[in-house]
Amino acid sequence: MSQPALLLLQQELRKCFQSVQVNKEVWRSALVECSPLISSLGNLAEQLRALKSVDLASTPLCHFPDLQPRLQHKLAQAVDTVLGKLSEKIETLQGVRDSTSKQVFAVFQLYEQNADSLDLHTCVARSATSPSIADMLEWLQDAECYYRVQYIQRKNLLWTLKPDDLTLMEAAPKRWASLDSPDKEERISDALFQVSFFMESE
Amino acid sequence: MNEKHSEATPPGRKGNLTGSARKLKDNAADWHNLILKWERLTDEGSAIANKIVNYRISETSVKEPDIVLVDEGSSEAPSERRAHQSNPELEEECVNLQNIVDKMAHILLKMEKIVSNETGVYNLEMFQFGVQGRPAPLFQTWSTQQFAEVSSKLYEAYKQELALKRTILQELAHTTNTHLSMVYLSCWLYQPYVEDNTKLTLESLLMETGHRAL
Repeated sequence: MSQPALLLLQQELRKCFQSVQVNKEVWRSALVECSPLISSLGNLAEQLRALKSVDLASTPLCHFPDLQPRLQHKLAQAVDTVLGKLSEKIETLQGVRDSTSKQVFAVFQLYEQNADSLDLHTCVARSATSPSIADMLEWLQDAECYYRVQYIQRKNLLWTLKPDDLTLMEAAPKRWASLDSPDKEERISDALFQVSFFMESE
Repeated sequence: MNEKHSEATPPGRKGNLTGSARKLKDNAADWHNLILKWERLTDEGSAIANKIVNYRISETSVKEPDIVLVDEGSSEAPSERRAHQSNPELEEECVNLQNIVDKMAHILLKMEKIVSNETGVYNLEMFQFGVQGRPAPLFQTWSTQQFAEVSSKLYEAYKQELALKRTILQELAHTTNTHLSMVYLSCWLYQPYVEDNTKLTLESLLMETGHRAL
C-alpha cells in the first residue's frame, strides 16, 4: 500500500527540485540585472541632492534659463525609468516566488494526503543516493520561505522609495545589498547537490 | 487633391516641387543623423567629464590637509597651479573634452545650415505661390513653413545645449565644489534643453517626410 504513495511522492519531489533548479537561475540572473539599476538609482539620488544643494544663481551656470527645474525634471524622469525597469525585475522575482510556493505546496499536500500510508520509518529512511523524504521536504520548505521573504523585502524596499525623499533613495543601494543572504542561497544549492543522484534515479 | 494639383501645375514648376520635397526629406534625414552623432558625442564626453571630476576629487582629497592648515586665499592659487603642472592626465582629458565640444560645434553649424536651407525653401515657396503658400502640402499635412519652424526649434535647443556644454568644459576642471561638479556632470549627460518634445518633434518630422512608417 505504501509503495505507490511513496513513488508518487518521490516523483513529485523530483519535479519540485527540478523547478527549484530552474528558478534559482532565473532568480539569480534577475538579481544580477538589478544591481546596476539599484546603483544608478543611488547615483541619481546623489545628483538630485547635488542639484538641491547648489545655488545655481551664484555659479557660472547662472545665465542658463530654467536650468534648475529642467535638470530636476530630467533627473526625475531618469529615476522613473530606472524604477520602471526595477519593477519589471521584481515581477520576475515574484514569478519565482509564486512558482516555488505553488510547487512546494503541492508536494506538501500530496504528503499530507498520503501521510497515513507513509510511516515514520519510510520518511526518515535514506540511502547513499537518496536523502530522506523528511530532509527533502524541509529543504523545499526552506527554499520556499527564502524566496517568499526575499521577494517581500526587496519589493518593500522599492515601494518605500519616493522621488522627494532623497535620503531613502541614497540609502537604497546599501539596503538592497544588505538583503543579500548568500548562506541561505548556498543552502539551496547544497540541497540541490544532495538530491542530484535522487533526481537522476527514476 | 494632391494628384489633381500636380497635374495642374506646369512641368517647370513640377520640377521645382520635387526639388523642395527632396530638400526637405534630405534635411529630415540629416536631422536624424546629426542628432544621433550628437548623442554619441554626449556619451563619449560624459565618460571623459567623469574622469576629469574624479581626478579633481582625488587631487583635493590628497591636498585636504594643506587646505585646512593654510587660509583659503593663499591655498587656492598654488593648488590650481599645481593641478595644471602636475597632472598631465587631467590636461589630456580636458583636451579630449575640448575635441568633443569642437565636434559638437561643427554639428551645430550643420544644423544651422539646415535651418537657413529650409527658410530658403519656404521663401522660394512664398515667391512661387504668394503668402498663402502652396495649395497642397508636400508630404502629409505639414506646410512648408512648419518645416522651417520645426528646424529652427530643434536648432535652438541644441544651440543652448552647446552653450551649456561649453560652460561645463570651461569650468569642470576648475571647480573644487563636488556638488557643483556633480551638477555639471548631470547637465552634460541629461541635456536639460533637449526636452521630451524635442525628440517628439524629430520623430514627427521623420514621420511626416516618410522616413518612419505611419
